[in-house]
Amino acid sequence: MTEPALYVYAVAPDRPGAADGVTGVDGHPLRLLAAPGTGLAALVHDAEPVPYQGPDEDVRRRVAEQDRAVVAVWERTGALLPMTFNVLVAPDPSPRDPRTAEERLRDWLTSRAAGLRSRLEALDGRAELRVEITVDRTESARDDERARALEAEMESRSPGLRRLLAKQLEQLRRESSERLADAIHADVRRRLLAVAEDMRERSRGVRDPGEADVLSAALLVRTEDIEAVGTVLAAVRDEQPAARIRFLGPWPPYTFADLPDGPREPAAPERA
Amino acid sequence: MKPTRDPRVTLDDLVEVLLNKGAVLHLDLIVSVADIPLIGVSLRAAIAGMETMLEYGMLRRWDEDTRAWAERSTGRRELELRAGERHVVHMRGGHLLEDGFQTTWRPGTVHLTDRRLVVLRREPREVLWETELAEVRAVRPETERTIGGEQRTRLRVVLADGRQTLLSCTEPERLRALLAGTCPGPLETSPVGPAAGTGDGRTVLEGHLWYHEPRRDGPLWRGGQGRLTPDGLMWKSPLDSRPALVLPADDITAVRTEPGGSPAGGGTVITVETASQGPVTLTADEPGRWAGALDSLRGAAPLPSA
Repeated sequence: MTEPALYVYAVAPDRPGAADGVTGVDGHPLRLLAAPGTGLAALVHDAEPVPYQGPDEDVRRRVAEQDRAVVAVWERTGALLPMTFNVLVAPDPSPRDPRTAEERLRDWLTSRAAGLRSRLEALDGRAELRVEITVDRTESARDDERARALEAEMESRSPGLRRLLAKQLEQLRRESSERLADAIHADVRRRLLAVAEDMRERSRGVRDPGEADVLSAALLVRTEDIEAVGTVLAAVRDEQPAARIRFLGPWPPYTFADLPDGPREPAAPERA
Repeated sequence: MKPTRDPRVTLDDLVEVLLNKGAVLHLDLIVSVADIPLIGVSLRAAIAGMETMLEYGMLRRWDEDTRAWAERSTGRRELELRAGERHVVHMRGGHLLEDGFQTTWRPGTVHLTDRRLVVLRREPREVLWETELAEVRAVRPETERTIGGEQRTRLRVVLADGRQTLLSCTEPERLRALLAGTCPGPLETSPVGPAAGTGDGRTVLEGHLWYHEPRRDGPLWRGGQGRLTPDGLMWKSPLDSRPALVLPADDITAVRTEPGGSPAGGGTVITVETASQGPVTLTADEPGRWAGALDSLRGAAPLPSA
């Protein structure tokens, strides 16, 4: 028989009942595994010690299920440290000192308790928001006189010359949108940082050649300030007709859950 | 505007974040499944790039890939740290060996700790080059064109005793900024010669500059690259995608230096009064030079943009 492993979703404050009725990946019921004396618990389901794998569609569905479960518990506890996908704790079968998955996970929570607690406190009542801003290259050169002149000239020219002018126009739009993107970035960053507690910029995946990336960032925001972020973005949208804005969340603090690097606490029961 | 949680809109982003971030546990609790270390995919995904994985439908293979990567990378931080020494960053790179007989690039990994800068080769293991950070006096980017026509930036590291070496690394700007933030003494980080690195001839002054970025809970000193042209000042952190500060020349109303706590080690900060965003605080290894150049923009008629 395979020894049971634990699939871990998050570290949360130990609030009995916070996981009641919540189901996770593949419909598994969730439970809180408390580490006595620490005030901490891990949000887990009982699993086989085998990671999830499969076609992309299954992965996407499971990610959505994991997110839904973490959000449900996060809304009850007000803070948690979410795990990445496929974090499994298996039993340690070493004959000298065999330990169950539960014991290993409890030991880990206990050994890192102070760091985990202070991170949880820092994130309590905060949510992650995603902001993505791009500018439309055509739109951002709309007021550029040289762009307008080129457009007018193209109307009356031969196809060969038109191609040349089209190249110039594209270059002009590119420069103009880059300048605009730099200016909006500096301005939006400053306005968002007046509201958000932390901001991490990230490189953006999919690129539309007709747009210039302005800002792609994760914000850490107090829940009562989420509306204020919306107000900043609405103002940017109204001031900048070329700007396209995506605004996602509120999410558990996925991007801000990392613990500072550092040695474990000296009191840690190091059992290797 | 209101944020959306609609999975039809957010699922791609969630997939990315759950494979890249939210990572706490696996960082130090490596779990053994059938004697193979199983770790979260986040570290590997961060390296391979989620875009590639999603684009080529590689998610189905991630577990095998993750295991293979875990085995390859167990020696990733093979630099032996001294007691209390802290790892800051490492990246692929190398150093140029110039010993009088030969000039050869020796590839390895560039490790920055809070005390040392080390180029290490793993197999056969050898410390190719190292210095104490306290000895470092200057880190200057040098840009050259490769045979393929691509621009490549190297870092020239100058030590207190006058010795110098050329390092290559995958993220020279990041390493330079981190060195500037980590080296205990004042560090010169400006490129040599006028307008190096930009090439458009309009740069008045360019180099490492600290920006006191205003934040909700109080301003934060951030290290980055400042570039002054007749149009104004731009400041960009290596961690941001675009400049966090854009000061048009005609927005600057006054420039002064004043005493203040500065992360550069000196006791002088530069205050730039602006019409549109109030006072902006900066500092540099040579605050006087930056203040003078900034002040000379003020009042000078801005050049028409080319």
